[in-house]
Amino acid sequence: MVQDRRIVALFIGSISLLAFIIGGPLIYAVMLSFYSARSFMSEPEWVGLSNYIKVLQDPLFWNSLTNGLTIALSSIVLQVVLGVGIAMVLNKRFVGQTIARSIAILPYFLPTVVACLVAQWILEPNYGLVKTALASIGVGMLDWSSHAFTAKGTIILVSVWLWTPFVVTCVLAGLQTIPTQLYEAARVDGAGAWTQFWHITIPGLRSVLIVVILLRGIWMFNKFDLIWLLTKGGPLNQTETLPTLAYRKSFIEYNLGGGAAVATISFLLLSGVILIYLRLFPIDDAKQGR
Amino acid sequence: MKSHVERLPVDSSRQIPEREPIRPRSSLQHGSKVQESTFWKPFKKLSAKIALYATVLVICLYSLFPIYWMIISSLRPAERLFLDTSLVFWPPDLTSYVSLFRQTNYIVNFLNSALMAVATITVSLVLSAFVAYGATRLRFRGKTMLVASMLFAYMFPPLMLAIPMAAAFRTIGLTDTLWGLLIAHLAISLPLAVWLLWGFFKSMPFDLEEAAMVDGCSQFEAFIKVVLPLSAPGLITVAIFSFLLSWADYVFALILIMSDQRKTLPVALQSLLGAHDLRWGEVLAGASLIALPLFVIFIFCYRYFVAGLSAGAVKG
Repeated sequence: MVQDRRIVALFIGSISLLAFIIGGPLIYAVMLSFYSARSFMSEPEWVGLSNYIKVLQDPLFWNSLTNGLTIALSSIVLQVVLGVGIAMVLNKRFVGQTIARSIAILPYFLPTVVACLVAQWILEPNYGLVKTALASIGVGMLDWSSHAFTAKGTIILVSVWLWTPFVVTCVLAGLQTIPTQLYEAARVDGAGAWTQFWHITIPGLRSVLIVVILLRGIWMFNKFDLIWLLTKGGPLNQTETLPTLAYRKSFIEYNLGGGAAVATISFLLLSGVILIYLRLFPIDDAKQGR
Repeated sequence: MKSHVERLPVDSSRQIPEREPIRPRSSLQHGSKVQESTFWKPFKKLSAKIALYATVLVICLYSLFPIYWMIISSLRPAERLFLDTSLVFWPPDLTSYVSLFRQTNYIVNFLNSALMAVATITVSLVLSAFVAYGATRLRFRGKTMLVASMLFAYMFPPLMLAIPMAAAFRTIGLTDTLWGLLIAHLAISLPLAVWLLWGFFKSMPFDLEEAAMVDGCSQFEAFIKVVLPLSAPGLITVAIFSFLLSWADYVFALILIMSDQRKTLPVALQSLLGAHDLRWGEVLAGASLIALPLFVIFIFCYRYFVAGLSAGAVKG
């Protein structure tokens, strides 16, 4: 193959820039986690693993880890169940199918900030829509952000509303790959809708679902903006997760080393998951990520 | 699953029972039970139809209502905002929008966001095209590693990039500048862009470039004149998703930008709510205006949105 020098040069140039933009911060983050600095301005001091030891001894870290896992897991379960359900409905033939499909994936493209503001507006404890609706049936509204359970619930609710469309789109694409003969055969054999769903649809969607669960799991676990916008980790750190903890340490307590250590730990945890993902779906065979 | 596959050949010869002429035979075979079900069939079909449309309606309402509520609330006059929960409101009142433009930096912030989005799209298109093309056409070791690391990179925890960037930008003087923010936006959009375009170039046969090169083009010219025009759909998808990532970014703008004049929309909007007086009217008006460009693009480029999404590649 002829290799044009310009192509080679542009490739090498671009890839080095890319490596510098992404790899640079990554390495610097790991370096920062070994230093301690009182502020952004002061001279950093090498402290070895002490940031990590402090973080790992902090009950708040473990609390944040479990919070993050709880939120991510419950959100994903709901997203997948709801997503598969919606996709099954939208896969049927009906008038206005394209419009319904585009409406159903619309929330996914809304910026997180917008979704969070709208959620806060609707759930406003004093004059929100939910408060008015509850008042009309004689039920009082509580301030969702001041109770651990409702605060977590709201985070999960908003994340489900925003990101279920991702599951819907992937499942809809996956449903097209299941041969229709399988359903015809099952119908002839007298299998009901439910049996068909469990024995044909779900096995047919297996690989799509694994990808979706892994990807969404990683992204949910990384989620900072949604939680920060809705609860800032409150009430009393009850919705604190690793990303918000890293932010709090770095930019509110000005403990850059500690924040970098938390970020590095969550990076290592995620890398494990990503390696499993790449093992399950090697790049060579991957048709665009699936 | 296996049993169905095994029975397939038999079934294909018996595929017809759905059709009309066969039905009398099957009703003969199964007796009264089937006769009853043929009697109820039109009703069952109708009720299934109704149930289907009702479910679709519920799905659409669930997806649309919060957006609708945001827009309708932003169009209420301030004094009715907190008391009025009517679902339809007419005539619309633009006071919230007017005071948003008069009392805040919204227009400046809007321009910042637009500038960031355009710059992110342009740079990531150019860089990712070269990287992705090189990764599919050049021969070197570690190609799979390269592509895998792209996939890896867009799953990074955002703070793993934001914390070191905040520290590094302080020492090199990029803190609180849009240049710094552009670097951050490129760091989140480039991996995705390379991944999408790599899939695109990979599926494009090399014969096309070869033909152009036989005709006297260099490989570079073939890339510019043949490959890029043919990859327009892929490039549009990349542009849309780079736009989305930059336009919606809250994390990096929050951490890297301090002064009001340089804030992008998401952060500026959130800081409106942080003020002591709750300016919900302005906040909702601002939120509607952030969403507006997205809706416009969404309507015209729905196809590319879905293409990018089902490439399994989009961060959210």
